[in-house]
Amino acid sequence: MRTDIKVPEKYLPIIDQEACIRCKRCIKSCSYGALEFKDDKVRVKDGCVSCLRCVIDCPTSAITVVERPSSYAPHAVFSPEIRRSIMAQANSGGVLLSSCGANAEYMDIFNDILLDAAQVTNPSIDPLREPVETKTYLGRRPGKVVVDDDGRIDLDASETPIVVMDMPIMIGHISLGSISYNAQAALFRAASELNILAGTGEGGLHNDFYCHSKNLCAEVASGRFGVTSHYLKEVSCVDIKIGQGAKPGHGGHLPGEKVQKLISETRMIPLGTDALSPYPHHDIYSIEDLQQLISVLKESTEYSVPVGVKIAAVHNVGAIASGIVRAGADFLTIDGLRGGTGSAPRVIRDHAGMPIEIAVSAVDQRLQEEGLRDKVTLCASGSIRTAADMIKCIALGADVVGVCTSAMIAMGCTVCQQCHRGACSWGIATQVPELAARLDTEVAAQRVINMFHAWNEELKEIMGAMGIDSVESLVGNRDRLRYIGPNPRIAEILDVKHSGEGWG
Amino acid sequence: MYEYEPRTASLRGPEAPHGFSERSYLVDIPDRHKPRHGSCGIAGCMNIDGSLISGSRIEKMITTMSERENGLGSGFVAYGLFPDFADEYCMQFLFENEESQALTEETLSEWVYMIKDEKVPTFPQSGMSPPFPLVWRYFVRPKTGTEAYVRTGLSEEDYMVRLVMSVNDSVPGSYCVSSGKDMAVFKGSGYAREIAKFYDISRYKGCMWLSHSRFPTNSPGWWAGSHPISILDWSVCHNGEITSYGVNRKLVEMAGYKCNLLTDSEVVTYLWDLMVRRHRLPVTAAAFAMAPWYYRDIERLPEDERRLANQLRITYKEAFLNGPFSILVGRSDPVTMIALADRKKLRPLVMGESDDGNSVYAASEECAIKSVQYDARIWATRAGNPAVVKVGEGIVRRGTESPFLGAI
Ligand code: SF4
Ligand code: SF4
Repeated sequence: MRTDIKVPEKYLPIIDQEACIRCKRCIKSCSYGALEFKDDKVRVKDGCVSCLRCVIDCPTSAITVVERPSSYAPHAVFSPEIRRSIMAQANSGGVLLSSCGANAEYMDIFNDILLDAAQVTNPSIDPLREPVETKTYLGRRPGKVVVDDDGRIDLDASETPIVVMDMPIMIGHISLGSISYNAQAALFRAASELNILAGTGEGGLHNDFYCHSKNLCAEVASGRFGVTSHYLKEVSCVDIKIGQGAKPGHGGHLPGEKVQKLISETRMIPLGTDALSPYPHHDIYSIEDLQQLISVLKESTEYSVPVGVKIAAVHNVGAIASGIVRAGADFLTIDGLRGGTGSAPRVIRDHAGMPIEIAVSAVDQRLQEEGLRDKVTLCASGSIRTAADMIKCIALGADVVGVCTSAMIAMGCTVCQQCHRGACSWGIATQVPELAARLDTEVAAQRVINMFHAWNEELKEIMGAMGIDSVESLVGNRDRLRYIGPNPRIAEILDVKHSGEGWG
Repeated sequence: MYEYEPRTASLRGPEAPHGFSERSYLVDIPDRHKPRHGSCGIAGCMNIDGSLISGSRIEKMITTMSERENGLGSGFVAYGLFPDFADEYCMQFLFENEESQALTEETLSEWVYMIKDEKVPTFPQSGMSPPFPLVWRYFVRPKTGTEAYVRTGLSEEDYMVRLVMSVNDSVPGSYCVSSGKDMAVFKGSGYAREIAKFYDISRYKGCMWLSHSRFPTNSPGWWAGSHPISILDWSVCHNGEITSYGVNRKLVEMAGYKCNLLTDSEVVTYLWDLMVRRHRLPVTAAAFAMAPWYYRDIERLPEDERRLANQLRITYKEAFLNGPFSILVGRSDPVTMIALADRKKLRPLVMGESDDGNSVYAASEECAIKSVQYDARIWATRAGNPAVVKVGEGIVRRGTESPFLGAI
């Protein structure tokens, strides 16, 4: 019995037949098979996802993609989105997958926060004329410099393994497998050139990428793919991944068809097998177990690199974070609800966790209350879209922000949310060689460098306007933020004053 | 120390010559016509041989810079003030009324032995706005023998810090403005000349004086929030605005200090106490943490100093006082003056030295020094570079040397 009912199409490519020169480039561009050439004309079939590849490739700008205007009768409660997903579910009987991070209208708190600037009583600083520093450290800090009985400073006893970055930015963990070789090469190259960190994701490290290892943070996830002690000693820091903001409490699944030679070698698993990352680490069922894994990793790297833990922002995140720091983590990454993913059950992606603004502030405050904040580096990620988000996130308590989606957008991604299908028309989230080849590593790397360079310049501009000449003086500096949104309770929880409230 | 010293009738200082630089008429300009610019003024003077200086000298220095204040607060601190009680903590309080005094004394009796107490003489001035606080001082010794003390597990100094914090935090209308040995703070809301008269500063003599006049902008002007801000024998006069206040407060609060004076400046006092007394850092290292060199300059330091500089920036990044400031910091045992400006030197700070080298001065403006020592040799400290002067030792640093002289 066939149970399928066609789910109405969402997007409509419109071809300007007069402008079209029949070059058929768009047909090749479309990796979703939504266009065909018939009767000497480009015709539209089903399946357009609005990735815009054809729009940009078309030499005569003959293509426009629009949202289909009248697919569903309006209803205030059953939105077209909800109706469409119910239809899809009734067709397949399965968990609906999606990608790219929450696509639900949760309040965007970043947009409700305003920044301060210096006027009269403290001079603002022009970063083009005077130094404004953005150098950032990642790792455990000793809390105090050790002074021996003779009053001399003992540096050997004070120093801890630490990573130095030129910007308070880390490109988040995106594994080889979830993105193509070219895409990962571009991100790593950008990180090296900017002297910032990039996450390897959980897929191990391809041999070709060891040249970037000083700018890489190795991820040890529940699948332990590609993790060797050689690998851990080569990179500059190690991150234990407990969770991801887009799918808290969830593991990972790279389908066997993507596990081709490249992936199978890097992940160290047989060709064509599914790469399954269990939901929990099967050797971590409690905080004591986590403490052991942290120790094991520190032992195996001979205490030469910082070892951190990454968790999804969940409701009790403050207490969990403090436990993790006490368990020995040198840095801590909190990934918010709106964070990206290559594939996640839509129901988790859109409904579980908490926004990064609240999470980072809660963790910063909790670590401060417990006297731990001056010992650990706090990284925050999960939809840091722009320099403004980054600055607000730092002022809410993050030492370092993690960025993924914006770096992918810089490379060409249009956030079409089809990564889980592996047919990315931009050559990013795909393992299909012809598609992956569309991404020029050098160009993509340069675009990522350009973007982060611009962010860093904007960070300096904002800090200069605030009269702050070094980024550490912005970290957790909530005094320089004001809330202007609809819910003053959020301001209270963020420990940010309302706009209009002065200093004293 | 308490004898009254008659003040000179002339508004001009005795040392200043007459002539073309005669400017004493300036003080006749009514306040309402004075320009409303500038910011706080700071001034300090000390004698290296430990001989005593009358309060009228520091009064002259600070009131000379009257353009730097707007009548919302001023204060003085004297060191070497109570030779007869040099081993007792002198807790000086501002009370709103008798009730807050009684409540405070109740708390004090639980924590400390009272050796002596006395009213601090005050003389309300016509231009000042009431109500005026009751000012009282207590010479005390912590009850270190008790079981309650042992249970706190605190050092004697930390015990005193906790006492001050808890009175300031929980006894309504009571503020402990100084709590060190052989020193006391005299401060309040008003012009420097009014506060000087209010306490009759000229009746006191000390081997070191620091002073502050205030032009508050971001925080309210009130008695306890005036400078110097003091804990134990530390006192700080701060001219500036801390753009990193939220960050600095985080560090001192984690270390157990409570910020309740409604002014960003109090974190500076607590940072000194935390880094130098508790963490035992050399003064130069603590100063570097507060006003660190730029990384590009750190690169140029020799290996050892570079390591130390980087480690200080990493470890004490929350102690970095960002934004413009110049501060004068005082401490006993030996009596020490530290003068430090921010790393861009966005607030003024000059030093002066008498011909015989025995008197050393620091001030926002040269005129303050010249008003009391016309022939003083003047020099400026470098940005983010502390000058350190000690009774008995002399000028340890001039604020122009390499950053860690003697610190590693
Ligand atoms: S790419 Fe443009 S011009 Fe070429 S066939 Fe398609 S619509 Fe026509
Ligand atoms: S990576 Fe590719 S598939 Fe994923 S959202 Fe971006 S453009 Fe779409």
